Amino acid sequence: MVTAIGLAAALVVAACGSTSQAINPADQTGTLTVWLMNGSAPQSVVDGVNADFKAKYPNVTVNVEIQQWSNVTTKLDTAFAGSAPPDVMELGNTLVAKYGYNGALADITGQKSSFQNSGTWLQSLTDSCTVSGKLYCVPYYAGSRAVIYRKDMFAAAGATVPTSMDELLAAGQKLMTKYGSDPNFSALYFPGKYWYAAAPFVWDFGGDIATQSGSQWSGAINSSASQQGLSVLQNLVSKLSRADKTGDELKQDQAFAQGHIAMIIANGWEVGVITDKKSGNPSLLPNLGAFPIPSHVAGQTAPVFLGGSDLGIAAKSQHQALAREWVGLLGGTKYQSQMVTVGGVIPNTTSLVTLSSGLPAIFAAAAKNSRFTPNSPNWANVESSNVLQNMLVAIFTGRSSIPDATKAASDKIATILNASS
Amino acid sequence: MRAAGEIGAAKAPARSHAEASPSNFRAIVARHSLPYALIAPALLVILGVLGWPLVMLVWLSLQHYGLRELFQHQGTFVGLKNFSTILADPQFAYTLRTTIIFTVVNVGLSMLFATLIALLLERVSRFVRVLLGAGLVFVWATPVIPAVNLWQWMFDYEFGVMNWLLTRIGAGNYLHHNWFENPLQGFSVITVIVVWGAIPFLAISLHAGLTQVPRELVEAAQIDGARAWQVFRHVTVPTLRPLLLVLFSLSTIWDFGVFNQVWVLLNQRPAQDYYLMAVFSFQESFRVSQYGLGSAVAVVMIAILVVATFLYVRQTVRSINEGGA
Repeated sequence: MVTAIGLAAALVVAACGSTSQAINPADQTGTLTVWLMNGSAPQSVVDGVNADFKAKYPNVTVNVEIQQWSNVTTKLDTAFAGSAPPDVMELGNTLVAKYGYNGALADITGQKSSFQNSGTWLQSLTDSCTVSGKLYCVPYYAGSRAVIYRKDMFAAAGATVPTSMDELLAAGQKLMTKYGSDPNFSALYFPGKYWYAAAPFVWDFGGDIATQSGSQWSGAINSSASQQGLSVLQNLVSKLSRADKTGDELKQDQAFAQGHIAMIIANGWEVGVITDKKSGNPSLLPNLGAFPIPSHVAGQTAPVFLGGSDLGIAAKSQHQALAREWVGLLGGTKYQSQMVTVGGVIPNTTSLVTLSSGLPAIFAAAAKNSRFTPNSPNWANVESSNVLQNMLVAIFTGRSSIPDATKAASDKIATILNASS
Repeated sequence: MRAAGEIGAAKAPARSHAEASPSNFRAIVARHSLPYALIAPALLVILGVLGWPLVMLVWLSLQHYGLRELFQHQGTFVGLKNFSTILADPQFAYTLRTTIIFTVVNVGLSMLFATLIALLLERVSRFVRVLLGAGLVFVWATPVIPAVNLWQWMFDYEFGVMNWLLTRIGAGNYLHHNWFENPLQGFSVITVIVVWGAIPFLAISLHAGLTQVPRELVEAAQIDGARAWQVFRHVTVPTLRPLLLVLFSLSTIWDFGVFNQVWVLLNQRPAQDYYLMAVFSFQESFRVSQYGLGSAVAVVMIAILVVATFLYVRQTVRSINEGGA
C-alpha cells in the first residue's frame, strides 16, 4: 500500500515535469533506456553525454542501445505496443508524424523552451516534430545529399564541376568517353530505387510528391513539372549509370570504394563509409570532392531532401523528466558542436551550422535549399510500400512510360495519404 | 500401418466386454475416459500454442487494427470489411494467382527431383550413397537466412558468380545481367532456391520409403517381364502411396507459405510483382501497420490450405486404413 501511494505520488510529480526539483538529483534511481541508430552519434559524443548525465544523477543507469536502420519500424512498433518501450529513441524524421499521431510519443510542447537553442532549431526538423500543432520530439541532426566525386577522374577526363544539369550530363559523358571501356564504370552511379536522390530533380522543375488542400491530399508526382524532372533524370541514368536498375542505394559506398565510379549522390556521412579502413578505401580521401546537385537553371542548386533524425520520448516512459534531461544534453550546444566537428553532420540549430568545414560544409550549404516529404502520419506507409521506389524502377527499366508510372504512383500515394489510419 | 490395425483389433473385444457388464458404471467411465485423459495434456498444449493464436488471428481479421489500436491494445470490430477490402484489391488477386502457380511448380519440381535422387540413392554403391546423403544433410542443416544470402551473392548484379560463369562459358553476355528485372526470371531463381532447400528432406524420406518396397514383389514383376518404368508405376508407387501423400501435403503447405526466400533475396523490399501470400500478409501487417488486413490475408491463406490439404489428408487416412486392414 505504501509503495502504491509512493508510486502514485512519483507519477503525479513526474506528470508535472518537476521531478528534478522535487527530488534531489543524487537520490534519483532507475534505468534510462535509449535507442540510438547505427552511425548516428560518434561513440565519444555518447560517452560524453552519459558522463555529464551521470555527474548529475549518479544513481541512474543509462543503457544506450544501438539499432539498425533496416526493419527499425517493425522493432519500434513492437516496442511501443509493449508496456515498457525504451524511454528515449532516435527516430528518422519521416517517422515521427506516424508515431506522434498514434499516441506513442510524449507531448513536450510545454517544455520546448527548456531545451537549449529551441528558438533556432532547423525549421524543417522542427516541422517534422510537429503533429497537429504539438511538439513530439527534439531535433537531433540533419543530413542532406550532394554529389561526391573523384577529382582525379574529373581532371583526367577534362571535366569540370558542373553548375547546371546540362553541364552534369556533359561532364558525365566526358567521363564515360574516357573510362567507359571498363564495363563496371559508371560516371554517375544511380541505383534504380534511389528515390531520395531522384526527388531533387522533381522539385527542381517545380514538381512535388503530393499537395494538400484542407485535409485532402492529392498526388503531384504526375504533374508535368514532376514528369519533366524525371525525364531529365532518366536521360542521365541511361547515359551515365551502369548501376542495378532495380537495386537500392545500400551498397553504393562499397561500390564507389572499388574505384570504378566517378560520382554518386550521397549523404555527407557516406564519405566516412567510402574511406573506412575496413570496408572502404582510405586512399581515396584526397581525391574526393563534393558539389551540390545543380539546378536546371545554371548557377543555382536543386532543392534536396532534408533527412535527419529526431529524439522522441515514449509516452509510456516512467522517467519523463530524466528522459528530457538526457535528450536536452545530446540536443544541446555542447554535444551538437561535437556532432558537427567529430561526426560531420548538420547540427539541429542554425547557430552551429558555421562550425562545419571541409566536405561537410558543402553538404551543410546544400541543406539551405531543402525540402521535406508530405508531413502526414501516413507518409511512413508510402515509404514502406515502396511506391516511389517501384515507380523509379518501372521508369528506368522501361517497363512503364513516365506518364503511366507516375500516374499509378500518384494515385497510390493519394490513396495512402488520405486513408484514415 | 500394421500397428494401427493391431490396436484397432485389440480395442474391439475390450469394448464389447465392457458393454457386456453394464452394472460396473465406474469401470465404463474409467475405460472410456482414460484415453482422453491420457491425450489431454498434449491436446492442451496443442490448443495453447496453435489453437489460441489461430483464434486470435481470426478475431484480429475482423477488426480495424492499426498503429493506434496496437499501442492502446484495443481494436474496432468491423465484421467482414477487411475481407471485402482485400478481395476487391487487384494486388490480392495477382498475389493469389502467383502463389498458386508458384506452389504447383515448386511442389512438382521438388517431388520430381527428390524422387529421382531417392531412386539414385538406392542404386549407387554404399560409398557414393553416404557421400550423397551427407551432401543432402548439409543442405538441410544450412539455416535458411544465410543460405538465401549466399544465393543472393551468387546472383548479384555486379559481383555475382553466376553472371561471371555464364559469360565465361559462352552462354551469352551476362555482364550486369539483372536476374530480378523480369519477374518470371526472378521467380525462376526463387524456385531454384526453394527446390534446392526442399529436396534433402523429401529425398531422404523417399529413400527410407523405398527400402520398405518388398524385394520379392519387384523381382516377381521383373520375372513377369515388367520394365523399369512399369515396376516403378505398378509396384513402387502403390507401396509408397501413403508416404507420397504426406510429402505432397507437407510440400504444399511449405511452398504455399514461402516467405524468407523472397524477403531476404530482394533485400526486404520486394516489388509488388514478387508478392506471394505470406509476403503480402507481412507487408500489410508489419510494414503498412494494417494488422487487421494482414490477418485477413493470413486467414484466407489458411482457408485455402485447409481445403487443399483436406483432400491429401483424406487420401492418407484412407490408404493407411487400407494398409492396416
